[in-house]
Amino acid sequence: MKKKTMLALGAAMAVVMLLLYITGDLYYKSLMEETFRESQDNHRYTYKFDMIVENQESAFWQEVYKSARKNAAKNDVLLELKGAGWKTDYDKSDFMNMSIASKPDGIILEYNGEPGLKEKIDEAADQGIPVVTVMNDAGRSRRQSFIGVSEYQLGTAYGEQVVRYMDENTENILILVNREIDDMSRSHLYTQIMNAVTRNVKREQRIDVRMENLLPAGSFETEEAISDLFQKSEEIPDILICMDEETTECVRQSVLNFNLAGKVKIIGYYISEDILSAVEKGIISVTCNVDTEQLGRYSVEALTDYLKEGRSSSYYSVDLSFVGKDDVDRIRREAIANETDQVE
Amino acid sequence: MKQIRWSNFSLASKIVIEVSVIAGILFAMNVGFYMRINRSMQMVDKVYMTNADITQLAQAFEEVQDNVYRYLKVKSSQALNDYYQSEGNYRELLGKLNGDNISDSGKILEKNIRKMSETYLEYTAQTVAAKRGRNVEKYKKSYDSATELYYYIQSAVDELNKQQFKVNSSTYASLRRVMNYLEVSNTVFMIVVVAGGVFLLIFSTRDMFRPLTNMSETAALVGQGNFNMKMPDTDAQDELGVVTRAFNTMVESLGIYMEKTKASMEKEQQMMERELLMENHLKEAQLKYLQSQINPHFLFNSLNAGAQLAMMEDAEKTGIFLEKMADFFRYNVKKGEEDATLEEELDAVDNYIYILNVRFAGDIHFTKEVDAEVENVRVPSMILQPVVENAVNHGIRDIDWEGHIDLKVCRQEELLEISIRDNGKGMTQSQIEKVLSGQAGADTQQSDSTGIGMNNVINRLELYYAQEGLMNIYSEGEGKGTEVVITVPLCKES
Repeated sequence: MKKKTMLALGAAMAVVMLLLYITGDLYYKSLMEETFRESQDNHRYTYKFDMIVENQESAFWQEVYKSARKNAAKNDVLLELKGAGWKTDYDKSDFMNMSIASKPDGIILEYNGEPGLKEKIDEAADQGIPVVTVMNDAGRSRRQSFIGVSEYQLGTAYGEQVVRYMDENTENILILVNREIDDMSRSHLYTQIMNAVTRNVKREQRIDVRMENLLPAGSFETEEAISDLFQKSEEIPDILICMDEETTECVRQSVLNFNLAGKVKIIGYYISEDILSAVEKGIISVTCNVDTEQLGRYSVEALTDYLKEGRSSSYYSVDLSFVGKDDVDRIRREAIANETDQVE
Repeated sequence: MKQIRWSNFSLASKIVIEVSVIAGILFAMNVGFYMRINRSMQMVDKVYMTNADITQLAQAFEEVQDNVYRYLKVKSSQALNDYYQSEGNYRELLGKLNGDNISDSGKILEKNIRKMSETYLEYTAQTVAAKRGRNVEKYKKSYDSATELYYYIQSAVDELNKQQFKVNSSTYASLRRVMNYLEVSNTVFMIVVVAGGVFLLIFSTRDMFRPLTNMSETAALVGQGNFNMKMPDTDAQDELGVVTRAFNTMVESLGIYMEKTKASMEKEQQMMERELLMENHLKEAQLKYLQSQINPHFLFNSLNAGAQLAMMEDAEKTGIFLEKMADFFRYNVKKGEEDATLEEELDAVDNYIYILNVRFAGDIHFTKEVDAEVENVRVPSMILQPVVENAVNHGIRDIDWEGHIDLKVCRQEELLEISIRDNGKGMTQSQIEKVLSGQAGADTQQSDSTGIGMNNVINRLELYYAQEGLMNIYSEGEGKGTEVVITVPLCKES
C-alpha cells in the first residue's frame, strides 16, 4: 500500500473517531444535562400565595389552580397549592396553621364551614395575611373577599333547570350539598329552588323538595351516603340536584350501579370528563359549569389588589352556565382549543 | 539541520513508534472514559447528598424539640445549654434551605420548612423564656403551639425527603442510562480503535517489510540467472535501505563477472574449433598423400636399400638420388602432423627440386636466398613444397624457354616474407582470384602431384596463424611468370 494511501486512511480514521467522540460527547452531555437539570423555572417571585382546597386532585380545583397560577405569575406571585401530592389526612385547619406559620403574602381558601376554620381566617388576618374564600363564603369572618357564585345566584340558576325537568309525575326533588349551611331551610340555595318549583307546579301536584348536607359524613362517606339513598327505593327522588363535583360523580356511579339511568333526572355540577360523558349518554341531564378560569383569576386579583392598594372588593361574581347533551361537543372543542393555546 | 525522515528510522524504532502511538491513543481514550465515569459518579454523590442533608436537618430538628422537652421537664442548665446548641445547629442548617419564592415543589417545601421552623423557633424561645420566668400558663401554651408546628414541620420534611427521593430515583434511572451509554460507547470506541490500530499496524508493517519481500522474489529470479533484475533505488537509511543497495551492487558485479567468463569461454571455444579444423585439414592432406603413396615406409625403406645397393656398386649419383628421394618422402610422412622449422621446409623443397631435375634432366633452374637468422622460425609443415610444385606444374612445365624458380625468404621487421617466383606461363587475374578463394582445387588432382593443393596450404596457414590474407599471388599476365608471396608473423620462433 502506498504511503499516501496509508496516511489518508489514518487521517480518515482519526476524523471518524473524532466525529464519533464529538457526537458521543454531545449525547452524553445532553443526557447528563437532562438528568441533572435544575428546575426549569428558576424565576424568583416577589410574593407567595397559598391555596388551600379540600380536594386538590379534583379536575375542578386543578382547573382553578391552573388559571390562578397563570394570573399569579403575571403579577410576580408564586402560588402554592397546599398539600398537593401529600398523602396525609390533614384538614384545612391544619393547612391553615402551616400556611400561617410559613408566612405567605396571601391565602386562597375553599371555605366549607369546617369547625375552627373561621378562627384560622381571623388568626391569619391578625398576622397580616389576607385570606380570600372561594366557592363558599365564610360569613362573619375577617376574610378579605369572596370569589364565587352566591347561594342566591346558584339557587336561582338551579331553580331554572329544575323547572325545565319537572313534569306532572315529579314528586321528589333532592338537593345534595356538601357545605356548611347554618339553617338549611333558610339558605338562599334552598329557597330559590323552592321558589322556582312552587311557581311552576300544577295546582293539584305536590312536590317534595328536600335538601341533604353530606358534609358531616366526612371523607369517603359521600359515596356511602349516596349508595344508602339509592338502596331505599321509596326515597329515590325524581330529580336529584348535586352541588359539587365529587357528589355528582358518586351519583353518576350509583345510578349506573342501581340501573336507574334515565329514571332519575340528575342536575350535576362541573364538567369533568366523566361527567361530560355521562351527560352525553343521558345519565346526567344537565350539569352546572362554573367558570374555573374566572374563579382562579379573581382569587389572585383580589389578593394582589389588597397587596397593592390595601383593599379589594369583598365579592367577585363568577359566571355560571349549564351544559346539556347538545353542548358537550362544543365544550370539548373549547377545552382542546384552550389547551393548544396554552401550549403555544 | 538534518531533516528527520520516516524512512531513515531503523525498523525497530519504526515498530516501537507505531505501537507507542496506538498505545498512546488507547491511553488517552481511557483517561477520557475515566473522566466521564468520574464525573457521573460525582453526580450520583451529589444526588444522594440531598437526601443525606435532609436527614441531617430532621435529626437536628428533633434534637431541638427533645431539648425543649427535657428543659421543661427538669429545667437543668445542661438541658438549656443543649437546647441553645441544638437551636444554633438547626438554624445553621436552615440557612442552607431555599428562602426564595421559586416555582418548584421542592424549593417551595424548603421555603415552607424554613419559614415554619423560624416560627417554631420563636415559639420554643418563648417557651424557654416563659419556663425560666416560671410562667406556667404561657410556656404550656407556646409549647403546644411549638409542638403542633413540630408535627407539621416533620411531615413537611418527610414530604421533602419523599419528593427528593422520587427525583433522585428518576435521576438514578437517567444515570443508569448514562452509565449504559458510557459502557456501550466505551466498548464501541475501544473496538474501533483496536481494530483500526491493528489494521494500521498490519499495513504499515507490511509496507515496512515490502522491500524485503520484493528482494526475496528478485533474489529468486537472480538465482535463476536473470542478472538484469534490480531492486528499485532507495535512499532510505534503515537496515532495508542498506541491504537493498548492497543487493543491487552485488547483482551488478555478478552480471559483469558472468559476462567476462562467458567471453573467455567463447574465445576458448573458438580456439578449440580452429585447432579441430586444422587437424581436419592436416588429416585430409595426409589422407590424400597416403592415397597417392601406398605404404611410403615400405617405399622409402626400399629406396634406402636401393641407395645402399647403388653405393656398393659405386653408382654414386644413383645412390644420392635414391637417398634424397627417401628423405623427401620421410619428411612428408613424418611432418604431416606437426609444424616444422623453416630449414626443414627448405630442405624438403631442395630434395623435391633435385628429384625433379633428375627426372627432367636439369630443366629447372632453382635459386634460393634465405636470411640465416630465420632458419629456425617454425612454420606449418608442407607449405613450401606444394607452392614450388605448383610453380613447376602450372608455371614452367611445357614452356619453350628456360624455366627458373627463385625462392626468397627474408625478414621484414616482425614479418617473415617467403616469395616463390617462376618465369612460367603466368596467370590471369581471374585465375589468381580462383586460387586464392579456394575454387581452383578441382583440377589440382593430377597424377604427377604430391597431392597437396594450394587451397589446403592457404587454409592451414590461416588456421595456424588465425589470420587471413597470408598468401598473395602476383602475375603480370600470360607468359610473364607468377610470384606467390607468403607473409607470416614471426611470433612462432622456437
